[in-house]
Amino acid sequence: MARTISDLFSKKTDIPFYISYIHKITPNQTLKQNNQSTLNPRRHRERDHREMRDLKDLQKSLNQTQRVRLQSALQQLQEIYSRASSSPAAAVSVSDCIHVNLEDGVLKGHGTTNRNDDVVATVCGIVERVNKLVYVRDLRARYKPEVGDIIVGRVIEVVSKRWRLEINYSHDAVLMLSSMNLPDGMQRRQTSTDELNMRSIFEENDVICAEVRGFNHHDGTLQLQARSQKYGKLERGQMLTVPSYLVKRRKQHFHNLEQYGVDMILGCNGFIWVGEHVEHGVDVPVETVKSSIENMSIEEQKPNNFTPLETRQGLCRIANAIRVLSTLGFALSVEAILKTVEWSISSNVEIKDMLLSEFCVQAAEIEVQRRILLTKRKN
Amino acid sequence: MSVELSFGEKNFIQGGIEQNLRADGRQRLDFRPMPIETGVIPQATGSARIRLGSTDVIVSVKAELGRPNSHHPGKGKVVIYVDCSSTVGPSFQGKKGEELSSELSTALQKCLLGGSGIDLSSLILVEGKLCWDLYIDGLILSSDGNLLDALGAAVKAALSNSLIPKVNILPDLAADEEPEVDIIDEEYTQIDTSSLPVIITLTKVGKQYIVDATLEEESQMSSAVSISLNRNGQICGLIKRGGAGLNPSVILDMISVAKHVSIRYIATLDSEISTAEASSAS
Repeated sequence: MARTISDLFSKKTDIPFYISYIHKITPNQTLKQNNQSTLNPRRHRERDHREMRDLKDLQKSLNQTQRVRLQSALQQLQEIYSRASSSPAAAVSVSDCIHVNLEDGVLKGHGTTNRNDDVVATVCGIVERVNKLVYVRDLRARYKPEVGDIIVGRVIEVVSKRWRLEINYSHDAVLMLSSMNLPDGMQRRQTSTDELNMRSIFEENDVICAEVRGFNHHDGTLQLQARSQKYGKLERGQMLTVPSYLVKRRKQHFHNLEQYGVDMILGCNGFIWVGEHVEHGVDVPVETVKSSIENMSIEEQKPNNFTPLETRQGLCRIANAIRVLSTLGFALSVEAILKTVEWSISSNVEIKDMLLSEFCVQAAEIEVQRRILLTKRKN
Repeated sequence: MSVELSFGEKNFIQGGIEQNLRADGRQRLDFRPMPIETGVIPQATGSARIRLGSTDVIVSVKAELGRPNSHHPGKGKVVIYVDCSSTVGPSFQGKKGEELSSELSTALQKCLLGGSGIDLSSLILVEGKLCWDLYIDGLILSSDGNLLDALGAAVKAALSNSLIPKVNILPDLAADEEPEVDIIDEEYTQIDTSSLPVIITLTKVGKQYIVDATLEEESQMSSAVSISLNRNGQICGLIKRGGAGLNPSVILDMISVAKHVSIRYIATLDSEISTAEASSAS
């Protein structure tokens, strides 16, 4: 099995291409998925994400010239990357040999195994070496949370004193009532009344934003916290699902794109929120409490309280830019997204036409230009 | 199929439809790009794969020799069946998937075979004794709404991709004997699909209706009307789904909208099929 997979593509293929081929069939991932179903039987019912099309699908819809342009753009990107990094990263695919000096003693890490005295890779990725440890970092892996990550998730259950959230991880995450600031903003002990009012804070299916607090050492569940005004319920916008490895961990994950009146949250778990800008610190949470007392939410009283058209245009444009970049398999940084959006406006591309293959190719070319500029500035 | 959306997201989708700018930037009467591949299953007589966003369907056509129905000795037979692969999602497993597949199969039969879309008499070889049976099988690989339109388009593409071998019928034939045939492998005839209708589903959300709804949009619908129209703008079939009732005047309005949309839709479908045929031939 492993042989045939690696025979599918030659070593010279660009990384992004072959990743898309072996998507979902690397042994490591099948294993993970099996684990999932045993760990959490609910997951199969809950998970229904439709990932967006990837590069392989895109290439089929291109015509000859577009294909050549995309190829050259990707080629250029690879050159920029290899020039930037001092030692070229060793990319391996399944069953490729990893060169090690056995005399020094080697610790085999994740994604490696022994075969006929050789160390071979069991996943596709980059070989990493830390002292004696050799492991392969997967290029396409499920989201693996780290403490401090900012994530976007969807509430799937309200249970006693906690919310359970779907965050694209192999387990569900847990947000305890005690690890979030109460709507009245007071620091106090949570009472049973607070527990009864949990649904007035978050309900099932609500999209919320939180921070990874840590792992529970007893049962391995993931704990979240939302101890600030910036975390909490997200409304009036859309959630996009992208592969989580496209979102890199950075200082800033909340972005207020003022010129469009849009808030964008790049969740480390690959859930991205694009929504209408909300002022923080104003009494929004208090209103929620009031409305719960009146047993009627604000939106229900004003059913036609829709996002203004102008904001919506910017919002959809940003969302489509994210879709395009994710199709191309480019890392989603706010700079890349904004550049794509600005370019689409300046060249008068209609919002819906941003998803056509022609714009995808152009977006790849723009990204190349942006990276070239970046490297020039660095030098 | 269940989609879980929060109140804010639902409101956003409804607002977008009201303001004629949907979540992916489309207007109410815009279809998503529709790439077609033909000849994806080499064993079949003809096959096609269509994608609409994340909706992904494959249709194959298999021609087999059979006996015509005794009530219609001069006509061949066409059977349409749609299978919902349970790998699509949890909602397709077990009973739900079966329900959906039978619903889609009947809808396709009604919409496509209703108005003489396929010339059944062209499938006859020996009247009353031998004809071509077309088995049209659809498989849903992934669902992001608007399955019926995608399947309808895929059937059309698969049929125009089909090459039915020519047959030699041995002439010495007694009245009650089974005819003997000889299939010529190198010569083919094509099925005429020019009069095959297309299906356009109008999904009503709030006061407005949209074409090519995504799964999220479908979850907000009050009712949906699937109209199958042929090239001349004639209605070949009409199916209404969803709970809420519709005023007759609304349906008439929907029909005229569908008729208007179908002109553009048929043109794009034709050009997509011809480019797919060209690229699969090369």
